[in-house]
Amino acid sequence: MTPTYYLLLSALLFSLGAVGVLVRRNAIVVFMCVELMLNAVNLSLVTFARINGELDGQIMAFFVMVVAAAEVVVGLTIIMSIFRTRRSASVDDSNLLKY
Amino acid sequence: MSWTLIALLLLPLVGSVVVAVLRRSDAAAKTAALAFALGELVLAGVTWVAYDPASTDRLQLTSSVEWIPNFGVHLSFGVDGIALVMIALIALLVPVVIGGSWADKLPEGRTAGGFFSLLLVMQTGMVGVFAATDVFLFYVFFEAVLVPMYFLIGRFGGPRRQYAAMKFFLYSLLGGLIMLASVIGLYVTSAETLGKGTFDWATLVEAMRTADTTTQIWLFLGFFIAFAIKAPLVPLHTWLPDAGAEAPVGAGVLLVGVLDKIGTFGFLRYCLPLFPAASKELAPLVLVLAVIGILYGSLLAVGQTDMKRFVAYTSIAHFGFIALGIFAFTTQASTGAVLYMVNHGISTGMLFLVVGMVMSRGGSRLIQDYGGMAKLTPVLGGLFFVAGLSSLALPGTNSFISEFLVLIGSFPTRPVHTVLATLGMVLAALYVLWLYQRVFQGPLRGTALVGVAGGPGAATAPEVGAAREVKDLGKREIAVLAPLVALILVLGVYPKPVLDVITPSVGATLSEVGVTDPVTAQEGK
Amino acid sequence: MGVTTFLAQADELRAPAVDYGAVAPVLIVLGAACASVLFEAFLSKSQRWIGQVVLALITLVASGTALAIYAGDAPEQGTLTLSGALAVDRPVLFLWATLLLLSFGSILLIADRSVEPGGAFVAEAGVRPGTVQDRAQAAKSGMQTEVFPLTLFALGGMMVFVAANDLLTMFIALEVLSLPLYLMCGLARRRRLLSQEAAVKYFLLGAFASAFFLYGVALLYGYAGSVKLADIAAAAAGTNRSDTLLFAGFGLLVVGLLFKASVGPFHAWTPDVYQGAPTPVTAFMAACTKVAAFGGILRVLGIAFEATEWEWRGVLWGVAIASMLIGAVLGLTQTDVKRMIAYSSVAHAGFLLVGSIALTPEGLSGTLFYLLAYGFTTLAAFGVVSLVRDADGEATHLSQWAGLAKRSPVVAGVFTFLLLALAGIPLTSGFIGKFVVFSAAVQDGMAPLVVVALVASAVAAFFYLRVIVLMYFSEPAPDGPTVSVPGAFTTVAITLGAVITLVLGLWPAFVLDWAGAGAFIS
Repeated sequence: MTPTYYLLLSALLFSLGAVGVLVRRNAIVVFMCVELMLNAVNLSLVTFARINGELDGQIMAFFVMVVAAAEVVVGLTIIMSIFRTRRSASVDDSNLLKY
Repeated sequence: MSWTLIALLLLPLVGSVVVAVLRRSDAAAKTAALAFALGELVLAGVTWVAYDPASTDRLQLTSSVEWIPNFGVHLSFGVDGIALVMIALIALLVPVVIGGSWADKLPEGRTAGGFFSLLLVMQTGMVGVFAATDVFLFYVFFEAVLVPMYFLIGRFGGPRRQYAAMKFFLYSLLGGLIMLASVIGLYVTSAETLGKGTFDWATLVEAMRTADTTTQIWLFLGFFIAFAIKAPLVPLHTWLPDAGAEAPVGAGVLLVGVLDKIGTFGFLRYCLPLFPAASKELAPLVLVLAVIGILYGSLLAVGQTDMKRFVAYTSIAHFGFIALGIFAFTTQASTGAVLYMVNHGISTGMLFLVVGMVMSRGGSRLIQDYGGMAKLTPVLGGLFFVAGLSSLALPGTNSFISEFLVLIGSFPTRPVHTVLATLGMVLAALYVLWLYQRVFQGPLRGTALVGVAGGPGAATAPEVGAAREVKDLGKREIAVLAPLVALILVLGVYPKPVLDVITPSVGATLSEVGVTDPVTAQEGK
Repeated sequence: MGVTTFLAQADELRAPAVDYGAVAPVLIVLGAACASVLFEAFLSKSQRWIGQVVLALITLVASGTALAIYAGDAPEQGTLTLSGALAVDRPVLFLWATLLLLSFGSILLIADRSVEPGGAFVAEAGVRPGTVQDRAQAAKSGMQTEVFPLTLFALGGMMVFVAANDLLTMFIALEVLSLPLYLMCGLARRRRLLSQEAAVKYFLLGAFASAFFLYGVALLYGYAGSVKLADIAAAAAGTNRSDTLLFAGFGLLVVGLLFKASVGPFHAWTPDVYQGAPTPVTAFMAACTKVAAFGGILRVLGIAFEATEWEWRGVLWGVAIASMLIGAVLGLTQTDVKRMIAYSSVAHAGFLLVGSIALTPEGLSGTLFYLLAYGFTTLAAFGVVSLVRDADGEATHLSQWAGLAKRSPVVAGVFTFLLLALAGIPLTSGFIGKFVVFSAAVQDGMAPLVVVALVASAVAAFFYLRVIVLMYFSEPAPDGPTVSVPGAFTTVAITLGAVITLVLGLWPAFVLDWAGAGAFIS
């Protein structure tokens, strides 16, 4: 199996995540889509590491995972605090700021 | 290193600070402002004497200090004859304006100190524009002078002052920014030809001589648009009637009398010498705009119902004459144009002031609210008439000589334009005399003069009603107008002192463009 | 390379050499940020505020001193340290100094407790907005002092970001600077719903953009086999590898960077977040994030993508034009001061981009100068915005600013000056900044772009003038806002910003010299 397929899969997952961010309305789901994008990138990184025959890409994937975990902490805090006020995590309800 | 120009720049600035500090006491602030303005007039006199018209130096009284070495920007000042007469005009008009605005009713909450302080800041800016010999520095003054004028109109002006101030600022700023593109382009071009970029005017004139015509045309257009907005040439003039009408009278005098001359001065100092090939290429276009300006301004002046807008439109016509003279490329026409710049400052300044005096008595800007005013205020009527005659260029007044020089100088190269421009003179007689007749002649009438309580037709109804108490000119007002009247008459018969200063510089400018007078060219054959 | 071969090499692994002198400023800031977290844990509530403020200010001064000492005898061409992960060269030193100075001003605004009793930050972020407890805490004098460690972490991230010499370090730094900012946005004392909403928006869009950045990193890694900027440059210059990877990677990477710099059309978060965030945080974001983001853009474009300039330049022309026009035109329709300045920052981002894509020494020094000048002007402007208040907190609606000059001539005068600087009127730093950036662009053959930029500046001037008109030429509303008498902190911050704006307008030569002192090292 050529590594190219993994790259295509990664691109597909990334696109799915990106489309999800744009069309989904629940902040948690939007956030999960962002996580999907990050993990799609991880797949690319390890694939490229494999193609290039070195470990750098794999190490980078670990960095990305740590960053993603930190992002989850911060992100869920923010979403939680607004959810407790509004009893809703829909991004459509966040409409006080516009124009 | 000559300190006269630097003193000319700093004195009003110091004055404005002093006046701003004293603003709580009206009398002290006004006296201080007048004292500084008169001091500046004396300094300008010293400068005039120090300037040597016979010298072959292109720029005199020069001084230069490095400012931003990274781009070769210098704080350099110097004057030629054209700049000198403009600086003298400023120094003359500012005390007149301060005297004229002495007893102005200001909008609520504004102080005379604030007004005069801004006027003095403006004076520094205007002197800077004419005295700068570094293109970057010129640009800085060109833009900086907008700010005090903006506040003068916006804070002290008439009912639509916000709109007028905004329009004035945006028009000028847009022009200025387009010019900035050209200033940068000029710098880059000089860096390409000289190896190191410079803003020094004299060096740039040399460097640009070899630039190709396309580059010249683009750079010319950037400068030209900015100056055409300032001087108002016709398609870009619409801010002037609004700004002129809403500005307080004092600021209006400086706006039309001096600030707009930056445009025509810019044609002479920057457009022509820096871009000679482009100037020749585009002169026909400018001349058409100039002639349109003369006719359009005159026709609209005839139709005005508002006296201040009337003055603004007459100025548009006069600026047409000045542009015609500059771009006709003959010594006579250009000399006439520069003289016209001075004379227009004097006569339109006076016209603005007398209109202001009429308004301060009647409380209205509309012509229809007045009638037969000469019966109540014969002295004001007489002086209004003098200002009007000067504006229509009656022989014996100052404007006649300049207008005559422009026309006679333009005719050999541009006969058609000249003939059309002459129509403007005829219209000028019409609009001035008709205005005078409506406001001052005939039976006493008009809501502004006759105390009638409203009602339709009130403007015309009572022919000899109970006239409101309208005082004639006081001593202060006469003292303010006296120097202007004197200049109108003296320059009308003996313009030689001014012409002596102007002519060598105009000749130098035209030789930088590389044109020779057609008459001498024929003689040479 | 298999795992066994890797392990075989393990005994050769050595810790990389660290030039401690060069990275001392960053280490001081990050170390202080950790200490600041400990302060939160161990100091009693009454001591925290004073402890944190003192720590933060000492940190900035110490870091600045370390920077000055290092800059005194730093190698002319710069140095690479931490096995090439960080590059410390003249532009980086300039950016670090800028960031430290701007953070100093921001910390002063953040620490102020006199304008709003208790400070601009919420006393207990856990309390739900709109409840009884929430109304009670609005009157409390305390604040969540966590903003100080968060600010220091963000600052540390920014400093690493501008010095990062490989894309992975850059990504980590990007997250280190962003995550604290997301939290700080949600901590306003008043209008907490707006504030939390701003935090959510900023977080979701920021994370989205980070993902783009990261995917760009991955593709460039695939293209060049390395994430070092120099390796990418070498690969782009001399190979016939797949251009698809290079340009897709470039595009995604740049989208992530442009998002952080709030360049239109990637500016969607800017107005909302600027409006909703507590004003001192907005000031910090507007000034420092902009500097950091453009520092990163300059380095990435200047080193990694210099060779391919002619391929991408057209695209960034379009982006710059879009940003300038979006900022200028949408700014016209705003009725809120903070949103208006936000759109102005989008327009300014466009101007900065014009300078950034001129990959010449003049372009670099011009953009650096512009960043410094703009940062101080906007910092002071937000400082002034925080002073104009009514009973509900800050009065940011433009109509409430009518006649301000009558109530408080000094504040109105300072704000007018700052607006004129933003509009680029001569004798302010804004004009010199525009001049250096645009002349660099013209020199590099981008005259049409400069003409568009100048037209956009003229349009943008309109909305700055509108505020001046309101303040000076309109009559004040009877129930209009009052201007708080600022405490020492805010006064110092505003004065600092305004004075630097003036000084750089009158005497820019020395800063221009510093900004032009050297080039990037890679």
